[in-house]
Amino acid sequence: MNAARRNEAALGAVGAVAVVAAWEAVARSGLVDPAIFPAPSAAIVGALTRLPPGEIAGSVAISLLRIVEGFALGAALGIALALASGWYRIFGNLVRPLVEVLRPIPPLAWIPMAIVWFGLGEPSKVFVIFLGAFFPVLTNAYRGVTGVDPVLIRAAQTMDIGGLRLLVRVVIPAAMPDIATGLRVGWGLSFGVLVAAELIAAESGMGFMIMNARQFGDVGVIVFGILLIGACNLATDWGLALLIRRWLGRWHSV
Amino acid sequence: MALPRAIDAPAAPAKIAISGVTKRYDAAEARPPVLLDVDLDIAENEFVTLIGRSGCGKTTLLNIVAGLVEATSGTVAVDGAPVTGPGRGKGMVFQQHALFPWLTARRNIEFGAKSRGLDPQAAHAEADQLLSLIGLSAYGDKYPNQLSGGMQQRVAIARALALDPHILLMDEPFGALDEITRIEMQDELLRVWQSRRKTVVFVTHSITEALMLSDRIIAMRANPGGIAAEYRIDLPRPRSRADVRLAALHEKLWEHLR
Amino acid sequence: MRRALDRPSVQGAAFLVALLLAWEAASAQGWLRAFAFPPPSRIAEAAVEMVVSGFPEGLRLWTHLLVTVGRILQGFFLAMALAIPLGLVIGRAPVLDAMTAPLVTFARSVATLSLLPLVIVWFGIGELSKVVLIAYGCFWVMLTNTIAAVKYVDPVLVRAARTMDVSGPRLFATVVLPAATPRLLAGARVALGVGFMVIVAAEMIGTIQGLGALIMEARTFYRTDISIVGMLALGLLGIAFTSGLSWLERVLIPWHTGLAGVRR
Repeated sequence: MNAARRNEAALGAVGAVAVVAAWEAVARSGLVDPAIFPAPSAAIVGALTRLPPGEIAGSVAISLLRIVEGFALGAALGIALALASGWYRIFGNLVRPLVEVLRPIPPLAWIPMAIVWFGLGEPSKVFVIFLGAFFPVLTNAYRGVTGVDPVLIRAAQTMDIGGLRLLVRVVIPAAMPDIATGLRVGWGLSFGVLVAAELIAAESGMGFMIMNARQFGDVGVIVFGILLIGACNLATDWGLALLIRRWLGRWHSV
Repeated sequence: MALPRAIDAPAAPAKIAISGVTKRYDAAEARPPVLLDVDLDIAENEFVTLIGRSGCGKTTLLNIVAGLVEATSGTVAVDGAPVTGPGRGKGMVFQQHALFPWLTARRNIEFGAKSRGLDPQAAHAEADQLLSLIGLSAYGDKYPNQLSGGMQQRVAIARALALDPHILLMDEPFGALDEITRIEMQDELLRVWQSRRKTVVFVTHSITEALMLSDRIIAMRANPGGIAAEYRIDLPRPRSRADVRLAALHEKLWEHLR
Repeated sequence: MRRALDRPSVQGAAFLVALLLAWEAASAQGWLRAFAFPPPSRIAEAAVEMVVSGFPEGLRLWTHLLVTVGRILQGFFLAMALAIPLGLVIGRAPVLDAMTAPLVTFARSVATLSLLPLVIVWFGIGELSKVVLIAYGCFWVMLTNTIAAVKYVDPVLVRAARTMDVSGPRLFATVVLPAATPRLLAGARVALGVGFMVIVAAEMIGTIQGLGALIMEARTFYRTDISIVGMLALGLLGIAFTSGLSWLERVLIPWHTGLAGVRR
């Protein structure tokens, strides 16, 4: 089993190296213009020489901060609304159609209204990221709350657990796996909308970094930025998955 | 020792008194009721089994006694007081173990103990006792998905006992287990029941299971659901599966059920 | 009357209508600025305007809608055409799967929109860029789902087929592919969702046609009422596409009852 896993990892490394090497080879072959299609090494080295490390770190930090703010807001509101509308029937009946009307509207389509409501500063960016996280968390958490195995609820009732205690001690824990799924999807979407959010009159962040590089035709920085955003997404998603496994993995096969 | 015989009424005063219980799920009364006018008295510490094929209303009757389902008409009284809802005094074990998957075996049992008002320390002590009673002292820190089906069901029984109920309601608790585990669990249940005496209402599909466990077997029929026959078994436990007297009763029950 | 009010859908609709009325009233009272929160009546007028004369002048709602649908579908089908065959091959070959797994994982983590500047440099600001961007987003979602769909076909089904002497291409066509279809369709649905997200950003650049362009353009002319019409149109389009795919699922896999764990 372990040998098989090691074998798999080795094969994966071979595949990754092969693709990067092929990319490098094509870029250096002279068949393509390296200014438009730079080799990965050239892109990374070029970007690191043109951008001071402090500036890169600053871009990563400000983008992550925006994502964390928007995501935290979206997750908190999404979970709260899911609990309220999933548990209190009347409230759910009232709110569900409203959610169903708003949910299919892509987060980015809110950008113009975000600018009108919140101006060109930070809040409008955070709002767009918030929308990216909010709906997936809401949908998954709602499914979790309404999909609790009825036999667990009946079991709790035979133990005299009802009302708010039933919600807190049975329904919420039972919904946790779905909530966790929503958090991961929401986190991914927060990253997905980041660049667009940072198109709104930003002068900082990774999205700004690559859009700005386009103005100067600096493809090296663009490629570097794309890889950087991807790496940040991958690393944080991996961290989130690890946290979730730590948190739920003992009793729930993730 | 008396031979198994049909009886008319239990001798002791009723712990659970079911009278005239009817249950319909369709208001239009187009289909026959799930239960029609069921009368049944169950004595204190009696082990009563409801048996019948799917649709005879045995689980519905159990749920009505539990207070999880409301009867369309008729009443259920425990110790003379009408049942108005689920709650203390009536522990229940389900076919799917219904353990909370996010709690360890110990925490599940403590959940039951705390819900009858024990403080954390007392609940811990109670869980210790019950874990040892069901022979799972070494498994207290395991989560339900780390336990075998039989172990899960034992923990579920312990959790119900942690409520210190006078009545234990069991809805096909061993129905999802393999035959070997099932036989072990029947013995286990009798052992536990003998150390913590309760009034038990037990629903099953299995004639053998009913014969091995019960003081009294209620055979039910469907369409409309109701009682077809009752048999008292005055044989001491543990009983032998090969006992000819049980074999004879097996035949009689089969006549009613098929 | 009381009976009707007990129905959840009636309650919800009533609440929605009440909300719209309150919004309208608040606007009329001047509590809500019409620019930031155009009242429903204004939005309705804008919708009529969009249908009749269009915005910018001459570009009617229908035109924007068709342009957007066209771009999404081109990108989507391009992605399907590449991802499904590739995924079927990778999913049936464990070595290939192991070799490509890290790459696929990373490529999926690359935010599609971050490719926007690169795609502009490579393909300009015309139609091709938009289609490529949508195709990229759809491709990786579809690829992972296709690989998983083939990989996780119940081995019992395959063994059962083998005992009936079915193997090779026939096994693939009669057992593997049908068993993988639910997940393929689920992947297609998720991919389409990605396409919807990407289109709005793609249409922010270098075009005045399409719903994404419409909502951006309208704002710069202080016509937030039209922006909202565009948003609602995008939402309705999304619903239409989703129900179309659900219908397709019912037709193609009527035997299927539900699917756990769709990869996003």
